Amino acid sequence: MSGAERTRTLLGPVDPARTAVVAPPLVSARELINRAGTTETVAGRRRVHPNRRLVLAAGTLAVAAGAVAALQPFGRRPPDVPGGTGSIAGTVLVPVSYQFDTDPPEAGPHLRALAGKIKDADHEHLGGRYTYHHTKVWGDPVMTSADGRHQVAFAGETKVWQAADGTGSQINTQVEPQYPDQESRDYWQRELASRPALGAAVTPAPVPLPPMELTPPSADPSRLRELLKVELGPGAASKEVSTLYQRFVVPRAVRAAILRVLADVPGFRWRGQVTDRAGRDGVAVTFDDREHDAQSLLIFDPTTGELLAHERLTLSPVRISAYQLILEAARTDRMG
Amino acid sequence: MGVRVGPPEKRGEGWFTGLYAAEYANVVRYGLRRLADADASAELAQEVFVVAWRRRDEVPDRSLPWLYGVARRLLANHWRSRRGVPDVLPITGADLARVASSSGADTTVGVADVRAALAVLGELDQEILRLIGWEELTVSEAAHVIGCTRATAAVRLHRARRRLAAAMSERPAQSRHRPVLAATREEL
Repeated sequence: MSGAERTRTLLGPVDPARTAVVAPPLVSARELINRAGTTETVAGRRRVHPNRRLVLAAGTLAVAAGAVAALQPFGRRPPDVPGGTGSIAGTVLVPVSYQFDTDPPEAGPHLRALAGKIKDADHEHLGGRYTYHHTKVWGDPVMTSADGRHQVAFAGETKVWQAADGTGSQINTQVEPQYPDQESRDYWQRELASRPALGAAVTPAPVPLPPMELTPPSADPSRLRELLKVELGPGAASKEVSTLYQRFVVPRAVRAAILRVLADVPGFRWRGQVTDRAGRDGVAVTFDDREHDAQSLLIFDPTTGELLAHERLTLSPVRISAYQLILEAARTDRMG
Repeated sequence: MGVRVGPPEKRGEGWFTGLYAAEYANVVRYGLRRLADADASAELAQEVFVVAWRRRDEVPDRSLPWLYGVARRLLANHWRSRRGVPDVLPITGADLARVASSSGADTTVGVADVRAALAVLGELDQEILRLIGWEELTVSEAAHVIGCTRATAAVRLHRARRRLAAAMSERPAQSRHRPVLAATREEL
C-alpha cells in the first residue's frame, strides 16, 4: 500500500466533510460571471443573495443550454420528446399517492407489525465480496427560473460496488430531466426548444473507491437509535435510514430493528399501500415538518421491510423536492 | 471528480456553468475542512469560481486540483488578514468510532488521536495530508495545489506522515477519551 493510500486510510474516517451535505449554490454561474466582470479583487468575503437555489436568469438561454449540456452529457433523449433536436423534455414528477391521504393513523403499531412479519430478502441467500447498490436520485441541485416558479433537475443513477474495506468502484450516470410540475416542463421546453443538439454520447467512467471504514449497522436498538439520529426527530431519522440503506446491504434482523426504532419516534404517520416511482408496491410512512413546510416520506417493501425510497416534498403546495430510489441492493463477486 | 471541458476557445458560459455544477460541492467541502462554517465555505467557493471564470483559459481539463489551488491561495489571504485569530476546525462525523483496521499500524489509533495529532502539525504538513487523505488527490495533483514539484510533494508527504505518526505516539492517553473540539491553526 502506497503512502498516499495509507494516508487516505488513516485520515478518511476523520474527514469533517466526508458526510457533509452541501447545499445548492447560493448564486448562479451567470451571477458569478457578472461579478467577475465588475470587480477586480476576489480575496474579500462577500455576502450574497440568500437564495439557496441555483438560479438561471430568464433569457440567458446560452447559460441554460450550457447547463443542460453539462448536466446531461450522455445524449439520452427521453421517449416523450415532442420537440426537435436539442429540446429539453423529460417527465413531470407527481407525488406518490397514499392509501391514507387524509387523517393517516399513527405509524408506530403498523411499523411494529411489519417488523414482526418481514421475510428474507434475495440478497440474504447470496454471497460475494462486494455489496452492490443501484440508486436513482433527483432534486439536488434544482435549477430555477429567475421568477422562482419553474424548476428542472436531472435525475442521476449510481451503481456502487464496495468491499468490506470500502474499496470498490462507482459509476455515476446523469439521466433525464424531471420537473416538479407541468408548468416547469412547459417553461423549460419553450425556453430551450431552439437550442443546439446535446453532446455526443459518453460512456461514464468507473470511479475507484478508496478504503474507508464501513461498520455494518447493528440490530441493537440503542446503537441504531444513535446511528439514525432519532433524537433529532423523524425528519433526520428518515434521512439517516435512507443513507444507511444506500450504504449497506441490510440484513433482516437489522431491518426489523430499524422498523421498531422508527415505530418509537413520535411524528410518523402511516400512509398504507403505495406504488413507488419505480413501480414497486410498498408501504409508506410520512412525517410532516410544518415549521419547514416539508414532508419526509419513507417507502418500505411490504415483504422484506427493505427501504425502497425516500422522498422530500413541500407541503404547500404539495410538490416533490427530492427523491432517492434504491433500485437494487445485492452481493456479488464481480464489479461491473 | 473531474469534468470534461472543451478547448480554451470554447470556454464560454456553457462551459463555466458545467464546471460550476460539477465541482461546486467539492470546492465547498474543501472549505468545510478548513473553515468553521458552511456560509464561509460557500462564499469561498463562489470566489474560487469567479477566479476560474476570469482565468478560464488557464483552467486545465482536470480542473479540481487547479480550483483547490485557487481556494488555498484565497484562504491564505483571508487568514493573513485575520492574523492572530484562531480558526476553529469543524469536528463532525463523531459517530466514527475507530479507524479502519485492515491496513497496518496506522490504524490502531482512535479518531480523536488522529485529529489531535493532525492539529499540532505545521500548516504545510496538514495541507499535504488533507489533500491526499481528504481531497483524495494524487501526489502529483497535490503538488499542483501546493505549487511544487511532484518529487517535493512526495517528500513532504513522507515527512508529514512521519511527523503525524510521531505526534500520535506522543499524544497522552487522555486524548483517546476526549474528542478535540477546536484547534488553533498556525498562521501560514
